[in-house]
Amino acid sequence: MRRARGTRTTRDPYARRSLVALVLYLLAFVAVVVRLVDVQVVNAEHYADQGLRQRTRTVELPATRGRVYDREGEVLATSIHSATIYADPRAYLSEERQINGRNVTIPPVVSAEEAAGQLAPLLQREPAWVAEQLRKDLHFVYLGRQLDWEVGDRVLALGLPGVGRLVEPQRVYPGSRLAGQVVGFTGIDGDGLHGLELQHDVLLRGSPGQLAYERAENGLVIPAGLRELVPASPGTDLVLTVDRQIQHVAEQAALEAVREFNAVGAGVVVLEVSTGDVLAMASVPGFDPNDLSTSTPDQRRNRTVTDVFEPGSVQKAVTAAAALEERVVTPETVLQVPDTIRVGNKTFSDAHEHATQPMTFAEIIEASSNVGTIMVAQQLGEQRLARYLDEFGYGRRLGVGFPGEAGGLVLPVDSWWSTSLPTIAIGQGVAVTLLQAASFYATIANDGIATQPRIVRGTVGADGRLAPAQPAEQRTVLRKDTSAAMREILARVVGGERGTGKRAGLSAYRVAGKTGTARKPSPDARGYSGEYVATFVGFAPAEDPEIVVAVMVDEPRPIWGGVVAAPVFAEVMDFALTHRNVAPSASREDLEAAFDRAHLRAELIAAERAAQSEGPATDAEAPGSPPVGTPSGGDGQPVVGTGAAPAAPSG
Amino acid sequence: MSALSVARPRRAAPAPERGIKRHLRVVQEPRVRHTLLFAIGYLLVAAGLVFAAVTLNALAAADSVAARTLDGQVVEAERTYARLVAEVASLDDPGRIREVAADQLGMVPAEGVRYLELARNLPADGHVAEAVRIGETTDRVKPVLSADR
Repeated sequence: MRRARGTRTTRDPYARRSLVALVLYLLAFVAVVVRLVDVQVVNAEHYADQGLRQRTRTVELPATRGRVYDREGEVLATSIHSATIYADPRAYLSEERQINGRNVTIPPVVSAEEAAGQLAPLLQREPAWVAEQLRKDLHFVYLGRQLDWEVGDRVLALGLPGVGRLVEPQRVYPGSRLAGQVVGFTGIDGDGLHGLELQHDVLLRGSPGQLAYERAENGLVIPAGLRELVPASPGTDLVLTVDRQIQHVAEQAALEAVREFNAVGAGVVVLEVSTGDVLAMASVPGFDPNDLSTSTPDQRRNRTVTDVFEPGSVQKAVTAAAALEERVVTPETVLQVPDTIRVGNKTFSDAHEHATQPMTFAEIIEASSNVGTIMVAQQLGEQRLARYLDEFGYGRRLGVGFPGEAGGLVLPVDSWWSTSLPTIAIGQGVAVTLLQAASFYATIANDGIATQPRIVRGTVGADGRLAPAQPAEQRTVLRKDTSAAMREILARVVGGERGTGKRAGLSAYRVAGKTGTARKPSPDARGYSGEYVATFVGFAPAEDPEIVVAVMVDEPRPIWGGVVAAPVFAEVMDFALTHRNVAPSASREDLEAAFDRAHLRAELIAAERAAQSEGPATDAEAPGSPPVGTPSGGDGQPVVGTGAAPAAPSG
Repeated sequence: MSALSVARPRRAAPAPERGIKRHLRVVQEPRVRHTLLFAIGYLLVAAGLVFAAVTLNALAAADSVAARTLDGQVVEAERTYARLVAEVASLDDPGRIREVAADQLGMVPAEGVRYLELARNLPADGHVAEAVRIGETTDRVKPVLSADR
């Protein structure tokens, strides 16, 4: 035992030390294991994420905004890649360093002033402004956004430190002012701000993608590292019902009217009768969405849907249609019409003085007699007139889906004054948008079926083909015979002897429509100002209407709708019908008769020439005889439906 | 009596088998370990592996560079395409066409347009008897290959 104790005594220092060391090692090992478990198991995900975040860079890939096309697939709005120039102002700061224990100021490679001098002409900015940007205490400043790509190339070629280029999508409108208020515009960041760009922003903008990749400390991409690409989904292309050609003609005609008649503005709406498609929606003065800085809010307003005006005599068609529908009158009903009528405390008069005279209902509308229309409206009564205003859609938005669309103004029948009935019957005391006015006439033209106007025809699907929008809603407002009677009455306004809309007439088509000259309400006080709105709304061909055109000229000189608005209507309608290949208002019998006449005349001339070779000259060669092959009608007017192309036949 | 002691016969020890020496064994010549060769081989394999890894990495890097170049070309092509689309639409603008026609070419709007309504298309147009409907000729939307944008 002693020996053993002695042995233990001799081994103790080593064993104890070994034990302590072992314990320490074990503790250290346990600590390492615990930490390892913590890093590798417990918080493995956290650390992996942290590491990945340090290495990974994620870049957002902007989605290409969808294009906007007209109904024929012509581009109205598209996006291009532009150059955005940025700078890191730290590259233009002097650097303080300690070299050999001394503070040394190291100037930048290129001074801010020198860089500004080189950049300013390319950026089209003042050198002082560029230098100010480069001296800012920031890590990133924009020097120019959405510049031409070539400008970016030239800036990069300068090789200035801290200056770089970013690719940024830029919205462009190739037609400049064409349909500017309809298409609208986007902001510098690509968000829709106005017009259909705003209305369909979610559809057009698409969704951005992402590119994640790993990079080393020096910024270089790790080739075998993570690379995840989520491609951006491009925005959906939008196809409008607008026809670019008709839109252009409508805008030009409205612009010329504003210039010629010193008006403050004008609007034109063109509708396709059967579908309610808006073929054109022109508003003057216009603006160029490519250069917003030069435009005013007034120019950006699509006044055909946002502005309401009192329709004046254009309203008489609705009053007349209601009276015919309720069988209060027929077109042949004769009334004794004076030139003034007193209702309540107000006297209404016709535009021209005349003795009390018998007039048929059709003549009343043809001559746009206020008194005659009021007399018929009195027979119709307030309730029934109010019901038809409601059925036509007065006071309600059409739902065309345009930002800022107005619904018009009409008082509930309970709130009508004693003078409301006559006032509303002749188009004062109610307010409509130009699109509403066009829509009301489209209802008359379309056998009494009201079709909701639409401006978006569809979208472009993934296969690149048109995905049509929902067909427009329809409802019946008038009987067919009422519509047919109204079409004939309105055709007399243009083609009749006493018609007020003669200047809306076309040589090849029968036109139906109504003029309007309405006083404008005073903006500051009750009552009316001294200004007027001249309007003309009509359709053609009168016998089978295809197109409705509504024209409004604001504060023209002279004031008359038949003088100011009717010619604009004629110009736009003529082009629209021709462009849409609508057959002229001549029957095929006329065409055949014309050919027969031409053949007969050719035979006669041939026979006369044969006789001439044998005898003296005849009257057939007298001056003024039409040349061979030029058919003419009995009144000397050219017979439509003959002559040269376009060869595309009508449906 | 004399006793003759007789020695207990000893058990004869078994004769050793011929040719077998019990305490001897055949010792083979110890193997010469070629440590150097082994080390060299190991190094060669390791170097090969490293070389393969570096080569693969270099190839990946080269491919990455090529991919980036292609990406750049694709972006450039898309940029050019988008610009050309806008340019064509701009040149095709009706206002511009009218301006050029009137100002540069001296053209004037046509007057007295006449219309000819054909019962059917002419054979010279490559058509058969049926007339072409308006909707088919004027109302089409041009195919827009949005997928190729």
